[in-house]
Amino acid sequence: MRHKLYGYVIFCSVVLCVTFGGIAAFAQDTGVFKLETFGSLERPVSTFDHDEHQEMDGMECSDCHHVYENGVKAADQSSEDQACAECHTLKSQGTQPGLRQAYHQQCKNCHVEKKAGPVACGECHIK
Amino acid sequence: MQDIYLLVAGPLAWAAWAIFFLGSAYKIWSTLAVAKQKDQVLLNYVSFRYALRSIINWSIPFNTTNMRLHPVFTGVAFFFHIAFFVLLIFISAHQIMIEEGFGIGWVTLPDIVADILAFAVLGVCVFFAVRRVIRPEVNYVTDWTDYGLLALVTAPFLTGVLAYHQVGDYMTMVILHMLSAEILLVAIPFTRLSHMLLASLTRGYIGSEFGMVRHVNDW
Amino acid sequence: MKERVWIQDEGIDRGAEKLTPERIEKTINAVLGNEAGARLKAYVETCAHCGLCAEACHFYMSRDKDPRFSPVGKVKQTIWEMLDKKGKVSVEFMKQAVQVAQTECNLCRRCVQYCPFGIDIAYMMSLVRRIAHKLEITPLYIQDTAHSHSATMNQMWVKDDEWIDALHWQEDEIREELPAARIPLDKEGAEIMYSVIGPEPKFRTQLIYQAAAIMNETGCDWTMPATPGWDNSDMAMYTGDSEMMGRLKRMHFDTAARLRVKKIVMGECGHAFRSVYDTGNRVLGWRMPPVPVIHALEFYWDLLNSGKLKVAKKFEEPVTFHDPCNVVRGRGLHEKAREVVRAFCTNLVEMYPNKEHNYCCAAGGGVINCGPPFKNARVEGNRIKAEQLRATGVKVCIAPCHNCHGGLEDIIHKYKLDIELKFLGEIIYDCMEKPNAV
Repeated sequence: MRHKLYGYVIFCSVVLCVTFGGIAAFAQDTGVFKLETFGSLERPVSTFDHDEHQEMDGMECSDCHHVYENGVKAADQSSEDQACAECHTLKSQGTQPGLRQAYHQQCKNCHVEKKAGPVACGECHIK
Repeated sequence: MQDIYLLVAGPLAWAAWAIFFLGSAYKIWSTLAVAKQKDQVLLNYVSFRYALRSIINWSIPFNTTNMRLHPVFTGVAFFFHIAFFVLLIFISAHQIMIEEGFGIGWVTLPDIVADILAFAVLGVCVFFAVRRVIRPEVNYVTDWTDYGLLALVTAPFLTGVLAYHQVGDYMTMVILHMLSAEILLVAIPFTRLSHMLLASLTRGYIGSEFGMVRHVNDW
Repeated sequence: MKERVWIQDEGIDRGAEKLTPERIEKTINAVLGNEAGARLKAYVETCAHCGLCAEACHFYMSRDKDPRFSPVGKVKQTIWEMLDKKGKVSVEFMKQAVQVAQTECNLCRRCVQYCPFGIDIAYMMSLVRRIAHKLEITPLYIQDTAHSHSATMNQMWVKDDEWIDALHWQEDEIREELPAARIPLDKEGAEIMYSVIGPEPKFRTQLIYQAAAIMNETGCDWTMPATPGWDNSDMAMYTGDSEMMGRLKRMHFDTAARLRVKKIVMGECGHAFRSVYDTGNRVLGWRMPPVPVIHALEFYWDLLNSGKLKVAKKFEEPVTFHDPCNVVRGRGLHEKAREVVRAFCTNLVEMYPNKEHNYCCAAGGGVINCGPPFKNARVEGNRIKAEQLRATGVKVCIAPCHNCHGGLEDIIHKYKLDIELKFLGEIIYDCMEKPNAV
């Protein structure tokens, strides 16, 4: 009986972990960023489909998950394990843009370059 | 759509601001040059002190006799002119574009405040139009250009509000917003909206005459 | 809106007969294009058509707020149309424009104080008058006055000997009361040259008498010119005849220079003060008058404050004080005038609005000088002043200006106000100490 109970507890724990982990993973995949840094938000959060971007031709992880050293983008390094806000503070520091500007530039510069994707405010911040 | 957006947000905006600044400089320069050539009798009476005295007194709400005679219009007109520049400079969307383009930033209005101001400005535009129709002394001196100029001023606010609330096709609206603002900018030096540039000159001149020659207040 | 009344005037009509569209176009463009400059352009391009000037105008207020009588309404009926059509306007239009600019605006400049941009609408009306002058369609009566100026250098066809005669006559008169009094003619090196307007020797000689009494009893070193140049008035200024205005003012200043006086003191006249102090000197290229010009109001104040002029008795009846535009909006003498009035009168009842915000008499700016054809329209055009006067409840109004006297007299008659008009000098003469009187 006691072993059966242990088994039950373990089973439940695994289920819970998988569920919450899955939820967490799902949330990250549909592109809700770590926004605590901003405090209260002025505009609706922009939606970002990570998978869709990841699967695009010629996209490297390090295009977005970049690493800058002394203001120069390091060619062979990437930063998937870090949140944007870990480097990009609310206010810009030297040449490193503030968090909001970093998001905007990261998206818009590429969209302009590729002539595809949203560039105007309301195209991402949809009400 | 992106191409058009980038055109109005980029080269056209540059062009509009360039025309606005160059046109304004030309307007002021040409006015002063003609004054120097033909109105020397006028320039001789310009006094910096009395010009400033007049400009300051006419910049304080309800300070002049006529402002107190028309309190509603005075309040509305002052609100309109202040709100116009406050919205232009302190709306967050404008500031973000400037920050991303030029790397400079400043405090911005919360969107909700900007939204209320913008609606109020639209209300004022309606007020101006209605006043033109119903007040005989205004209606008598009104022609289509007055409504045209009012429409020119109203358009950026209307499209701005619609774009912000994402009513209608967003991209069309935001492009119209920028385009109408650019047309307004270009129109300022070349229409009666140039009172923005010339008012301080006319005010300063008459203030000088009243202060220096006539020793009397002009308000 | 009521139907607009266009008044027949012989001067306008006869001049208009000789007009051709080409001449009108050429003249308008010459004046607006060459004589006017940045100021007109800035005014036209700055005006926001807001209508805020309307309530500044006594014509507008008196005519039940008819927009055609608002300051900007008058600009619309004249300058705007001329500019829009580039001078290609009809003879009929020009006749109407003359009526608007010459008889429905007193150039009182009250609207200048009400325009947020400080646009000088009086200046634009003066331009229209200038065009009318060049087209020879100035109203008959004021043109006659301008002719008198050019022929005699005074406003009233006063001949040179008649002028001297009038002064001698007044000297004779005054010596019955003040045996030692003189009216010194052409005294070189005197401190003060006293100048008056043409109507004084013609039909208001008592004013010369009173002024002489004040001068003598306060011990002033003064003189009056015996030659043309004695008249400081200037209807040419109001018909747009700048050339004639220059001649008149030059003669006036030249006379002062010949007599080597230190200052010119002027009688109680508004338009003449505007001409000598503000306009005429500019035409001659003087930034400020070459000889200091003191209006009677300021002169009285100076005498009172230097202790030369003493109050013997007070004028007991309540009085009101009418502020003439040209010395109030034109020179800010309203406070000094009130100090003198309060010194001599026990009870001053104010009209409102007053001081630099006074309503005009509707006679100034050459309007009364356009004569009988326009009299009724002018008097109807100043109901607001009559209401103002009536509201004071007083029986005496001090109006230190000839044109104001004319204008107020007419509205007092028309609106049946029981008010007597006085010059300030009259009250001073009555109430001052006269140590040499017998």
